[in-house]
Amino acid sequence: MVIQMILNGLMLGLSYALIALGLTLIFAIMNILNFAHGQMYMLGGFVVYYFYYVFGLNYFFALFMCIPTLALIGVIFEKFFFRRVLTLGRREESSMLLAMGTALLLENIALIAFGYKEQGVPPLIHGVIKIFGGYLPADRAFIILMSVLLIIGLLVFIYKTRPGRALRALAQDKEVTYLMGVDVNKITMLGFAVGAALAGLAGGLLALTFPIFSGSGTPITIKSFLMIMIGGAGVVPGAIIGGFLLGMVESFGYGLISGSMTYLIIFAMIILLLIFRPQGIMGKPWG
Amino acid sequence: MAILEVENLTKRFGGLTAVNNLTFHVDKGEILAVIGPNGAGKSTLFNLITSYNRPTSGKIIFEGEDITGMPTHKIAKLGIIRTFQETTVFKEMDVFHNVQVANHLHFKSNDLEEFFNSPRAKADHLEVERRTRELLNYFGIEQYKDEIASNLPHGHLRALEMAIAMSADPKLALLDEPFTGMNAEETDRAMEMVRGIRDQKGVTVILVEHDMRAVMRISDRIVVMNFGEKIAEGKPAEIQQNEAVIEAYLGKEEEGELEDVL
Amino acid sequence: MNQKNYARIVLVATLLFIYLIVLPIIFRNQRYLLNIVITASLLSCASLGVWITFSIGRINIGQGAFAGIGGYTTAILIMKAGFSFWQSFLLAGLLAALIGFLFGLVILRLKGVYFAMLTLSLTETFRLIFLNAEGLTNGGNGIMGIPRPGALSIAGITIIPNFGRSNIFFYYLSATILIIVFLAVWRLYKSRIGWIFKAIRISEDLTRSCGINIVKYRIMAYSICCFLGGIAGSLFTVFYQNIFPASFQVNDSVYFMLYCFLGGLDYLAGPILGAFVLTGAFEVLRFIQKYQEGIYACIMIALMLWLPNGLMSLNLGKVFGKRKEKELETTEADKLLKSYNPDSGRKSLKKEG
Ligand SMILES: Nc1ncnc2c1ncn2[C@@H]1O[C@H](COP(=O)(O)OP(=O)(O)O)[C@@H](O)[C@H]1O
Ligand SMILES: [Mg+2]
Repeated sequence: MVIQMILNGLMLGLSYALIALGLTLIFAIMNILNFAHGQMYMLGGFVVYYFYYVFGLNYFFALFMCIPTLALIGVIFEKFFFRRVLTLGRREESSMLLAMGTALLLENIALIAFGYKEQGVPPLIHGVIKIFGGYLPADRAFIILMSVLLIIGLLVFIYKTRPGRALRALAQDKEVTYLMGVDVNKITMLGFAVGAALAGLAGGLLALTFPIFSGSGTPITIKSFLMIMIGGAGVVPGAIIGGFLLGMVESFGYGLISGSMTYLIIFAMIILLLIFRPQGIMGKPWG
Repeated sequence: MAILEVENLTKRFGGLTAVNNLTFHVDKGEILAVIGPNGAGKSTLFNLITSYNRPTSGKIIFEGEDITGMPTHKIAKLGIIRTFQETTVFKEMDVFHNVQVANHLHFKSNDLEEFFNSPRAKADHLEVERRTRELLNYFGIEQYKDEIASNLPHGHLRALEMAIAMSADPKLALLDEPFTGMNAEETDRAMEMVRGIRDQKGVTVILVEHDMRAVMRISDRIVVMNFGEKIAEGKPAEIQQNEAVIEAYLGKEEEGELEDVL
Repeated sequence: MNQKNYARIVLVATLLFIYLIVLPIIFRNQRYLLNIVITASLLSCASLGVWITFSIGRINIGQGAFAGIGGYTTAILIMKAGFSFWQSFLLAGLLAALIGFLFGLVILRLKGVYFAMLTLSLTETFRLIFLNAEGLTNGGNGIMGIPRPGALSIAGITIIPNFGRSNIFFYYLSATILIIVFLAVWRLYKSRIGWIFKAIRISEDLTRSCGINIVKYRIMAYSICCFLGGIAGSLFTVFYQNIFPASFQVNDSVYFMLYCFLGGLDYLAGPILGAFVLTGAFEVLRFIQKYQEGIYACIMIALMLWLPNGLMSLNLGKVFGKRKEKELETTEADKLLKSYNPDSGRKSLKKEG
């Protein structure tokens, strides 16, 4: 029982970390809370649904297609919406309402295009792995593996490559980054694209075990907010920890009590956490 | 007689000790300057005295009362008002409202009376309006009273900041770099203003300032900080001769001002 | 100055005349249209609360939770404890305010996106509480068949008679409450308390240093907001005669904000204008109901792109006199735009460095 919950928690926690990383990245570089993050996740699921199931193409190709699709959406949002509002915006509220607008828009487009119906895709790898008396469907093992690889890939990108370093510099100090000769607009766009692509990849991965439907975005958005509240907004390790913790707690909660009770307890715990550490576990003190 | 005593004050931010075992006092009616290189912990000291930060250890005593860790608004009520290093006014309000809000402590009526506009509240408003006009007049910005604060030129902005600080009728004013960004002439005028609040309003002043010429001329006494510690204290003439001070300043290249004076 | 005041009085009188006399007469036999105006009035009420939290510089996506609290309080008190609507209405507001007060003690320390995220979670939290507290709330089945308000008598004197199912009565009830709420909030903002709220939004640090207890005023603002959410939720519940955990969700909390933005955050009438315009426009476009969210979304995006200060900043702004601030905004925005332009940006940065 406990082993089973740990196995589920591992899958949830790692894929959630992926989701939180995308959200925190966008927050760190633009100070924008991407309300559409869950909807981007949802679209990732549909990309895989169409390429993999409907068109019958290779799963990896379908998963890869999440990257250009969501990155394109991210670039469009950044270039045509957020950049202008951030430049004009007198108040922080403006970019937030804009972000909510983009979330509603994506959700409504998905609803019109794909309907209410829940979709699913056939398993990629059949079979179940037995570990210490717990059962791990092969697909879930695959999700765990892929999540770990993607997280490592992202960390390498952020810490070891030139554009990654520019992203981090941008998160630190926009003006200094500008003076270093970095094309701030381009890097900002890149950051938004990477963040969106991460959400899409997570959606594409979890499409293997969870239903794909147009309404799945908002709950994921809310969960991703919880993750970065736990870990600390805008901090890379915080996102990983927050995502992982939430996934684990969710798995144990679902195993021991009901799902809605679990979230009630999670909310209560987060409020308690924020009383003592308003900046989250890894966040820097502020205000 | 000491109006404020700071005893063994220490503030750590994680591993960094911003203020280290600092002890000093300021006498009633004095102008005390706190100087030191950037990052020496001067602003942190002000934050501690006015409870924007809580000290790690040590005591702050104002008029014989221990005010360590008391909420900021209560400290203001006791008579300590501070200004900020970055000029801070209520940017999106007009000048008159800026000072009216700052006169909060002179409203005697409570919130319910205020809401229902009781006679007492009305009287308060009349009195505060009178005070506001007087303050604007004193600081020479009455002609801008309807202007939105952020439209004011820098010099007047500083004056407004002072008017806001003086609205509470403080006994002790903590001014954080009041002359920054001013040319010689503006600095002279601002110095007159600071002397004025001491001489005419009887306000004790602690000021943090980098402009050494101004510091040497205006202050009765100087406390020098470096890396959070007090490295010297004395009359301006003594400080100019102090080896430790000269070293602290020469060690930092961008701090050229003291050399010019010495 | 006098002319402006005159124009303002004429405008307000006209609006009141339309609201209180023309609309009810035109719509008296069209229950559906009357209901739309009632809905808009109640939404305005809750949005005014959200507007107050905006005025202290907090982005509040939690009003849905407090509408839910007010609604369930009313439903439970009427259905299970035998209270009259009038009693439960008041208690609903007070309980919402009390819960807001308690949460406010904790969460008002947070700012910006942190406050926004947490209040958003509150909406979800309370939906889950309503779903799980089955003994009180019937869980997902909700509470149905709640009676409409009966007569109100105080000390044996009937103040408001029993109107049965007449919607005109409900129309006037919601209109009266909206007008009272608006006047109260207006008075608040004319008073020193309103200045303090604004001061807190501009700089909490400076406000504190003026000797103002910002914790107290923040909580006051938030509790008032929650009170308004509570009474709006209470009225919604007796109006629809039912309530479910899904009656007030995250999207509703977002719409409350949208109304404020659409009208204009700098104007007290903004949330009301926003609520009426959007509710009305939506009904006109009923045949495309499927696209409601999409249209709201486009409005939100378009608003932020081209009209960030809301409808009131367009024409009504002149009557309600806020011109100075508007000028300031454009110059500030221009400055920002310029500094964002790479060439001028480089210059300005060099100067500073
Ligand atoms: N809130 C804070 N958190 C962490 N470090 C701080 C904080 N405030 C100040 N510091 C650090 O304390 C040191 C002293 O800063 P400050 O008091 O502003 O110096 P000064 O005003 O003398 O230039 C600096 O190294 C600064 O980075
Ligand atoms: Mg300083």
